[in-house]
Amino acid sequence: MEHLTKMRRVLESLCDRGSRRAPVTFAALFHTFQRILELNNQILERIADMGDKLGGDYIFDGEYIRTSCLQMGNLVYELVYNFNILAPQKYPALDGVFHGIRHDIEEELAGRVVIPRTEYVIPYDIISGDFDDVVGGKNTHIGEIRNRLEMTVPEGFAITTRAFQSFLDHNRLHQPLEEILQAWQSNAVSTNEASQKIHAMIMAGTPAPAMARAIQKAVRQLQHKTRGRRLRLAVRSSAMGEDSEHSFAGQYRSFLNEAPSNLVARYKEVLASTFSASAMEYRRLKGFHAREVVMAVACQRMIEPAVSGVLYSLDPADPTREIMVISAAWGLGEPIMNGSAAADRFTVSREAPHQVQQRGVVPKLRQWTSLEGGGCEFQPVADALQNRPSLSDAQIRELAETALLIERYFKSPQDIEWAYDRQGRLVVLQARALNVASHMVPAVCDLAAVTERYPVVFAHQGIIVQNGIATGKVFIVQTDRDLEAFPNGAILVAKQTSPRYAKVARKAGGIITDAGTSTGHMAAIAREFRIPTIVNTAVATEKLAAGQAITLDAQENVVYAGRIKELCYFNYMEDTFEETYEYRLLRRVLKKITPLNLVDPHAKDFAPPACRSYHDITRFIHEKAVEVLAGLDYRHRLQDATAGKKLDLEIPLDLILIDIDGGLQEDGAGRTVTREQIRSIPMRAFLDGLCSPGVWSREPMSVDFTSFMSSLTRTFSSHLVDPQRVGQNLAVLSGNYANINLRLGYHFNMIDAYIGERVNDNYAYFRFMGGVTDPTRRSRRARLIRETLAQHDFNVDLRGDLVIGRIKKLGRPEMEAKMVLLGRLVGFTRQLDVKMSSDQKVDEFTEQFARLLTKEAVVHRLGRETP
Amino acid sequence: MNSDTKTRILVLDDETIVLKRLGPALEKAGYAVDLFSRSADALARVKEAPFDIVITDLKMEGLDGMQFLTKVKERSPQTEVIVITGFATMDTAKESFQKGVFDFLAKPFKLGEILETVKKAEKKIRPELAD
Repeated sequence: MEHLTKMRRVLESLCDRGSRRAPVTFAALFHTFQRILELNNQILERIADMGDKLGGDYIFDGEYIRTSCLQMGNLVYELVYNFNILAPQKYPALDGVFHGIRHDIEEELAGRVVIPRTEYVIPYDIISGDFDDVVGGKNTHIGEIRNRLEMTVPEGFAITTRAFQSFLDHNRLHQPLEEILQAWQSNAVSTNEASQKIHAMIMAGTPAPAMARAIQKAVRQLQHKTRGRRLRLAVRSSAMGEDSEHSFAGQYRSFLNEAPSNLVARYKEVLASTFSASAMEYRRLKGFHAREVVMAVACQRMIEPAVSGVLYSLDPADPTREIMVISAAWGLGEPIMNGSAAADRFTVSREAPHQVQQRGVVPKLRQWTSLEGGGCEFQPVADALQNRPSLSDAQIRELAETALLIERYFKSPQDIEWAYDRQGRLVVLQARALNVASHMVPAVCDLAAVTERYPVVFAHQGIIVQNGIATGKVFIVQTDRDLEAFPNGAILVAKQTSPRYAKVARKAGGIITDAGTSTGHMAAIAREFRIPTIVNTAVATEKLAAGQAITLDAQENVVYAGRIKELCYFNYMEDTFEETYEYRLLRRVLKKITPLNLVDPHAKDFAPPACRSYHDITRFIHEKAVEVLAGLDYRHRLQDATAGKKLDLEIPLDLILIDIDGGLQEDGAGRTVTREQIRSIPMRAFLDGLCSPGVWSREPMSVDFTSFMSSLTRTFSSHLVDPQRVGQNLAVLSGNYANINLRLGYHFNMIDAYIGERVNDNYAYFRFMGGVTDPTRRSRRARLIRETLAQHDFNVDLRGDLVIGRIKKLGRPEMEAKMVLLGRLVGFTRQLDVKMSSDQKVDEFTEQFARLLTKEAVVHRLGRETP
Repeated sequence: MNSDTKTRILVLDDETIVLKRLGPALEKAGYAVDLFSRSADALARVKEAPFDIVITDLKMEGLDGMQFLTKVKERSPQTEVIVITGFATMDTAKESFQKGVFDFLAKPFKLGEILETVKKAEKKIRPELAD
């Protein structure tokens, strides 16, 4: 302890002398940084922990949610606080963002569903999956099907939950509504009576002027898109929670073929139907709180279908049959939904190429048709059409393919309403989860016997991040570019976890990685999307081949060869747990905690205003803290040489070491240290690479050139270059940390690394820049470095002559190997820009370097295999 | 096993999610289960008929869990009590064990853990069921 204090004093004086105003010492900054790492870890662990509770394995209660949120808020608060010490006044917006999120969570815990302060109206082209608390379930699904799956849906817009709130506010309905509901809950009034009172109250209200204007504007835009044809609207309910875990199918009202002038009246009818007697009873049965009732409304342009209907992506009567069931009839599909008209029934195989198995074609004498003046009625079907199948085989195939895409995307069997318009285009009208649970139980009673028939590829190798079952084909991801071609439903197999996999989270059936932890950023994403995921298997990329069909059982931690459909069906079974208030509350608060929106640190919006969750804040701070620490300018603090020690090396490299905490052996009173005296884990590994045979180029060069080079690598430079520009080769060390600044040849390298026993703390950051050669040579050099780093799993960013490589969260031996690689790379590229006089030279060098690395890889592997 | 020979379990917790999740799980495992969210109701039930195992939360409105389990133990000392609580402290744990509680689980816990504990308690009171 005493030496630590002494060291700090020395450092403080060092720092003070170096810069005129240095209120915080480097040692203090470094400790702050370490605290940030710890907090980062704790927060990610807690996110994982809370996410786990949604998995269904745990029994938790409301108290757990409240205390967890409180503790989580405190951790993130401390993280922001520490980051502000590290980077004072650099990101002042962070505080406000944090308090906003914490406030929203507190509101949710207090039982007040937080309605985001959004627009009154949101058009379909900007709705994504994150919008469901704004636009409700139905609109969200339609928006996702349109914008993510790129299918045709009716044009339209959502009238948001905020509009609902505004409507209640504007007409002062909160209080009376509450009173009626309380009277109903205590059985003082009947359900019918309460429902009628609320209906009358809502119908008597008017939207606030701003809201009315927003709706009118949205209608005008829709009108514009219809290009002069008469606009008719479908007005449908889109409640929060509707179409997701809960099937409120048929509980709320919808209206078809309405004139725009009727929209507000119909909007109110839909709001009022939220409190229909049947909906109220249903919610009471399912344990919904009155305050959870928040209604958004879908306004869609009516299409004029030639044929429409319903598709079930599994047969609810016998889900194991591997078929889809399609009902179809001429005209509008509503009579099929309520069973008031005859419809054709087709069954079709779920397997491509989707053979039609049964055609139940019935006489269709009448069809539901939109009327000129609004509303709908039955009209006779033309004689020629009455007995014709309403769908062709090609259309049935197209429907089946579409359904599978939607099913994979939403991860459950689907109940899809669709239509073919008069131009023959398939339009998806809505999609919701199909409840097949009650029919599933007997079919899956003996899973053990079923799974025995399939070969096990590997078992109990990794850590389960998210429970669940997935079947699909293996898709191996090596680079970011691979993600672009990621097929729907494939199982993502990769060496490492990466938050960039968020890009394909919706498409991935499952994720398996060789390395990684259950507390990383990607793990949080996997939980958020409930993607069955196993990490740290060590063998996945080795044992699984691209395109191979497998079953990932992330419950028992087994990967089977082949597709075991029975396991999947078992997974489809409805869990009553998801129907509890606490489950929904935890899910809602987690939405403010878990989602990771800041994925790409190079993106423009990687900034505090884009942080929408605690996870975002945590990720932002982690990334920026490393950057801040890496970017600290130590060199000017070296005026006093007593603090630094010169490293005695076998290669001509003048390097000064500053030890802040256990980076060097204690004994040295001298001014020089040897490699053996270095204790810093990353520094030792780096020097192992830098000094390994053949790396530091020893090939004969002209005398002039050699002396030129050596002059550049000496601390006190020759007359050839201005000393100010040479700078100092310097490393700041602790036991687990190294920040290495090197100017070698014409370029500048910075390596910042932390390697310890906790995988989540580990990272290495490599920056390569500068150079006084001509631009062509510089770009050749940068290309070589980028390719080498990318081949070795670094996340690489190339901006002009600046190359940044990052890697993190590997185990200590793997991290050490990466540092050895960086050492070699630095040594090898030392003279590159001078030597790389032609593109051919680049190739020669790349090859030469690759040979070196292969040799290293072989040695490394041999070393691992022989105990 | 028919309902006469089933091990009888009473669960008391004022948070219904606990009942919703524990009830079906215990039934699936072959127990006869009664669920209560109010301690007064649970006490009335206990007075009607003894239970083999009682699972109770500690912090509740009205009669709290500690008082409830004291009364249960007074009435039928052979009943095994399992405490489940979100406020696990050394003191409450100590007090519970002094009152003869079989085990003490801190919420949140895994379904498997409580089933395991129940099984152990069952073996203690009905050794004939031991495998």
